[in-house]
Amino acid sequence: MTAQPAAAQIAISMTGISKRFGPVQALHDADLEVARGTIHGLVGQNGAGKSTIIKVLAGILKPDSGTISVNGETVGNLTPSSVERLGVHFIHQDRLLVPTATVGEAVFLRHELGFGPFVSRRSMNRRAAELLKRYFDLELPVGILVQDLTTAQQKIVQITRALAQKASVLVLDEPTAALVKREVDSLFAVLRRLRDDGIAVIFISHYMQEIEQLCDRVTVMRNGTDVGTVDPAQTPIDEIIAMMIARDVGEMFPKRSVEIGAPMLEVSHLGMAGSFEDISFSVRRGEIVGLTGLLGSGAKEIVQCLFGLDRAERGSVKVEGKTLSLSSPVHAVQGGIAMLPEDRRAHGVAIDLSVRENISLASLGRYSGSGFVKRRQENQAIDGLIRELSIKTPGRDTLVRQLSGGNQQKVAIAKWLSCQSRVYILDEPTVAVDVGAKVEIYNLLNRLAGEGAAILMLSSDLLELVGVCDRVLVVYRGRLAGEFSGAELDGDRLLAASSGARIAKAEAFS
Amino acid sequence: MTATTMKAAGTDTAQSEKQPRVQNTGKRLGAAAVRLGAIATFALILLYFALFAPGFLSSFNLINVVEQSAILGVLAFGMAVVIIGGGSNVTEGGIDLSIAANMGLCAAVFATVLQAGYPDAVALLAAIACGIAVGTLNAVAVVGLGILPLLASLAVMNIAAGAELTLTQNTVVGAASPLLAFLVSGSFLGISALAWCLILFSAIMLVFIHKTTFGLRLYAVGGHPEAARAAGINVPLHVGFTYLFSGFCAAIASVLAVSRLSASTPGSGEMLLSVLAAALLGTVFSRRLVPTIGGTLLSVLFIGFLANGFQLLNVSSYWVNGVQGALILLVVAVTSFARGPEASR
Repeated sequence: MTAQPAAAQIAISMTGISKRFGPVQALHDADLEVARGTIHGLVGQNGAGKSTIIKVLAGILKPDSGTISVNGETVGNLTPSSVERLGVHFIHQDRLLVPTATVGEAVFLRHELGFGPFVSRRSMNRRAAELLKRYFDLELPVGILVQDLTTAQQKIVQITRALAQKASVLVLDEPTAALVKREVDSLFAVLRRLRDDGIAVIFISHYMQEIEQLCDRVTVMRNGTDVGTVDPAQTPIDEIIAMMIARDVGEMFPKRSVEIGAPMLEVSHLGMAGSFEDISFSVRRGEIVGLTGLLGSGAKEIVQCLFGLDRAERGSVKVEGKTLSLSSPVHAVQGGIAMLPEDRRAHGVAIDLSVRENISLASLGRYSGSGFVKRRQENQAIDGLIRELSIKTPGRDTLVRQLSGGNQQKVAIAKWLSCQSRVYILDEPTVAVDVGAKVEIYNLLNRLAGEGAAILMLSSDLLELVGVCDRVLVVYRGRLAGEFSGAELDGDRLLAASSGARIAKAEAFS
Repeated sequence: MTATTMKAAGTDTAQSEKQPRVQNTGKRLGAAAVRLGAIATFALILLYFALFAPGFLSSFNLINVVEQSAILGVLAFGMAVVIIGGGSNVTEGGIDLSIAANMGLCAAVFATVLQAGYPDAVALLAAIACGIAVGTLNAVAVVGLGILPLLASLAVMNIAAGAELTLTQNTVVGAASPLLAFLVSGSFLGISALAWCLILFSAIMLVFIHKTTFGLRLYAVGGHPEAARAAGINVPLHVGFTYLFSGFCAAIASVLAVSRLSASTPGSGEMLLSVLAAALLGTVFSRRLVPTIGGTLLSVLFIGFLANGFQLLNVSSYWVNGVQGALILLVVAVTSFARGPEASR
């Protein structure tokens, strides 16, 4: 299996695939070759191009150039249904199942069992139950609806759907993110059995342990292209991780020296069933603390709780020594937390309002006397902020919609600056922001910290975390799995801790 | 509510199960409560009429209600199919506000063609062609142009109503033909032709929607268009079909309407509220909170009995409109609550 597969055994061959979205080159001359009867891992950091190349294979995205062949035959112009006819099936990360369908209906949708135009729900339900029992040893109540299943059960139903249609290539995108150990084990057993039956399995995962355990070959992607295909049994995980991380950091991250003071944000024993447990940490004056973890690890949910968007069930949060009620974003703001949610357009800025209106929204009180807005004072303050943050806008009355992503983010930050917040929580602050604006945002964070703010930043960009943060907390499967600072703070360690590759070692740090 | 139910969830397997079973059970119980509550309310109201409305339970009255419900039933099935394929989201889901106005236009076409001396078959075909044409307009606006169904069908409603007025000059167009005579006076096994129409149409719909592959896929398209697309189903084709089908239902209903009054009369647009109430009310009878043929039929009969009971109790018929409006509000509020927050995106 470690030898180069012979041409006749190639199930999927993608060569020279390029794809550009506006200014972003998502894929650049990427190759992927998968042999029959192997489990082929696909790894890479967020944005490396894994999902894009899979969407190209799925016929969801049209590549700008490159050729694809399935089972030796070159295929052009793939569509989701033509790909399926070729026997290539996808288990998408988001559970693409009809919530109001029964398990039987979901498994056989578009491949319904029955006679002529008529369906037999009974035989679909019975056959689905057989498959679930055979492959997963799972027994569900007959006729249960998809929306009443757990996340793991829904994932299993998705896989069963592909199996029911006799897949020759099975592509799984982060299939274990929502599964518990026992379910992961039975999934792996199923995948191994399918491999032995000659099926090619493409397995995308962030969990290095799983890649090592399961895969016969693994292709590493970085910056939109494949940087190598190796045998995980013969390649140390550290080496694979090193392949994933770019080294050309350059001058992106300005350095600073700030005196770190008293704790401003203290989180103790925060817990929410099913998401995270026993999370304790603090962020001190002048400190930038990073928080990271894979999708489903609970890192995102922790930030949601601090924002008051989700409710923690246990634990407490103190801001400057005062206990904060986490029941709604209003309390978080009143408690002095400035929030920059990831979805800027949904929560961070009002894109159909002007720069001026956005900035003064959170601090209207300061510019109003006797119920009226003191326009001149407001304008002066806002022009000051626009200059200070070098927000590139024709003027304060330009609609935020017309600004670039980076400048929208700066408006969102300016909004909080204008009400003089002391604690900042940022959720993926540089997603969809170009490099130049990223550097400006990093400078801004440094300046805020320098002025004595405490900053907590959720990010999945490891370079950014290493470059900007004083300390980085890693969440793995709902628990703090490591804390890195100083010389220990590097991309390899962060990636290893968040993918559980060195869980035992990481625990020694926490 | 979510927080308290989640607290009850066991934490041993909760490692990364984001949706503990308990939460789903809560939602399922909510849906069951809505279903039982609706059925109990129906039963109570009918019981009240049975006890206090004179002659409510007489066989003549019961058959009369079924006959009266035939037109509403055919229209409500059309609306139900649109909601099934477009999804039950109140703001963005499928809805055909033009269905009643379309029926008025079809009735005018049917009566006019008959008056011009053409036989039943020609008039029937003309009415069906007209209904499907209006349905096509909806389909193009919704699927082709991507306009919200609520808005698209509102515009088409006005087009259909305007066309009807232009055709009839806002007058009654009398019509008589063998087909109409049969619908009015024909009967089989003591059940009148109109009632048979409702029974047969319901049976056909039941098979079509609940027993065929097409019906199953239609529910999938309405339940989660992305998932349906990923499964390789042609979503626009299915959604477009629902509007054509509701146009067809409008045409069939128009023939029944002309037969009852022996004429095409202005003002059929007023049926819209009842049609909408029946189709939306029909969703509470399903555990999935989607329209079903059985549920829609029950709601149609309930609305028929409601109007009839009010009449027998000498309550002004103006009240019926108010009650139907209140029913729509209640059903929409209760079902969105029972569906939970993530479904009401």
